[in-house]
Amino acid sequence: MLILNSVVNGVLFGGVLALMAFGMNLMFGVVQIVHLAYGQFIMVGLYLVYVLAILYHVPLLLSCAAATAAVALLSILAYYLVVKPLLKAPPINQLLALAGVWMVLENACLALFGATYKGVQVVLPVLHVGELYIAASNLIGFVVGLITLAMLYLFLNKTYTGVAIRAIAQDPEITGIMGVNPRTVYLVTFAVGGALAGITAACFVPVYSVHPHFGGAFTLLAFIIVILGGMGNLLGGFIGAFIIGVVTSVSSTLLNPEIGQIIVLLICLLIIIIRPQGLLGVRGK
Amino acid sequence: MKQIKNLKRGILLFLLALLIVWPFLFQSKYLLHILILIFIWSYVTTVWSYMGRFGLVSLGHGAFFGIGVYTTAILFNLHHVSPWLGMFVGGLVAAAIAVVLGYGCFKFGVIGHYFAIATLVLSEISTLVIIALRDALQTGGRLGLTIRSVGTSPLYLQFDNKMYFYFLALALLLLALFIWKKIDESKAQMALKAVGEDEEAALSLGIDVVKYKTAVFALSAFLTAVGGTVYVQFTMFADPTTCTGVGLSLGIVFKAIIGGMYTLWGPTIGSLLIVILEEYTRLFLGSAYVSYSHIIYGLLIIVLIRFLPKGLHGTVSEIFQGRRKREAKTLLAGRQLAENRD
Repeated sequence: MLILNSVVNGVLFGGVLALMAFGMNLMFGVVQIVHLAYGQFIMVGLYLVYVLAILYHVPLLLSCAAATAAVALLSILAYYLVVKPLLKAPPINQLLALAGVWMVLENACLALFGATYKGVQVVLPVLHVGELYIAASNLIGFVVGLITLAMLYLFLNKTYTGVAIRAIAQDPEITGIMGVNPRTVYLVTFAVGGALAGITAACFVPVYSVHPHFGGAFTLLAFIIVILGGMGNLLGGFIGAFIIGVVTSVSSTLLNPEIGQIIVLLICLLIIIIRPQGLLGVRGK
Repeated sequence: MKQIKNLKRGILLFLLALLIVWPFLFQSKYLLHILILIFIWSYVTTVWSYMGRFGLVSLGHGAFFGIGVYTTAILFNLHHVSPWLGMFVGGLVAAAIAVVLGYGCFKFGVIGHYFAIATLVLSEISTLVIIALRDALQTGGRLGLTIRSVGTSPLYLQFDNKMYFYFLALALLLLALFIWKKIDESKAQMALKAVGEDEEAALSLGIDVVKYKTAVFALSAFLTAVGGTVYVQFTMFADPTTCTGVGLSLGIVFKAIIGGMYTLWGPTIGSLLIVILEEYTRLFLGSAYVSYSHIIYGLLIIVLIRFLPKGLHGTVSEIFQGRRKREAKTLLAGRQLAENRD
């Protein structure tokens, strides 16, 4: 029962993880960039919610919406200042520049808010369904995650910009010839990626308190999911998120949380080395 | 040209002599402390650049440093093993991990940013292992651990007078620079430079690229762990944020990038600048403001990668020497090597 319970909560948590990984995956698939500072964007989102809701007494939902918009703007800024000038540079330079962004954001939050945990104390009920205990916070995250992903699906399939994004991911050169401006597509991708980080932060509000070193673990978690599903493979990432959600949840119930995380990271290392196309992916070009 | 070389050698010898007599001339404990930190970080950064200059950007050196720190500390605190021995045990553990990870990566062609990510994962694992072993091996988890003090004891690498660490760290730095030179002069290195990433061409020269890269990785990991041992014996305190993990790994890489990772003196210059920047903010703004110095150097990294990807020293020396000449030299060396084989 205990295990079933943690499996269910893991699946629910997987919904938020899918959302988080989707942002990173999109940026990798379209712009071919590994967004090393992605977790820090989520962290900034959480801090913004804290500032608005606690310090300025803005209603919580409104704070979350404002934080999402602000993180999307920050992502656009990062695109213009850091990513765009390095589009033609070797990938390792892009990675290191984004590590610089990581450093700046983390220490800016440390300077502004100090090293202590800050959180919005939202107490949500635990639901009883039969013999299962389900945290309402996980359920909200799951529902928001799936709705957002469904909207993204429609956006990517039914709108011109969305189709252009997918086309660029498949073949940037040909798509360029066909009259799509890759720079505009990249910009939209970063805006969407940032917004996803913001929504992820909003889903995290009832679950986590934030601190300056909050982001790193989530950057890595997003990576692991993306790697598991195959980089740039959106469906693979979606499935990977639920696998990771369940594995983390079950292993921290049975073992201690660090050992669970270590196992996940070791699996991730193995996948990078042996199956870089991902467990679920197919070998690309 | 020869005059310039002589002048350069003269300046270096003068600097070295100055550094050797420094602790006898000036009694400032604070300056001594800063110099020791500069030496240790220059050493670690130089050792990192053995790989960095091949384009093997490791974000896992924080893990190797941490292995050195914690192996020594745990062996001494729990079993009273001398840090001199702990240093080698730590180094060997680090080298073994580097061999396994490196061989796996290079064999399957995990290079560039994939290699960086793989080693980044290693950094995160090292932090988690230390936290997970908080009780089993008394690592103290996030709170950190203190080395048991035995006063001044050369056998246990503990000295009340920090001057000993000054010379130890200086010796390590000189050793690291010496090995850098040796690697730079090795035939395999010249040939690798000449053929670039073309592994088949390298193989035709009789160089097993995978083996060579793995060996350099292992050497670099071993020496980094040794640096960790000296660091923890000097500070007598270790915690996962300063002694291991992703943050430390990035710190090492950033020092190398700022100074320039392709030159002999680049890593040292980068470490010098960053330690001074950190100490300046700590001293004049207060330790609560150290994060500001990290913001500055995070920004510096972004700007440098955009405008001067070869780092400060790298760019300056490139202007002086002319890049073409150097490349021609290595190309020539590679060709000669190929001809000798035929």
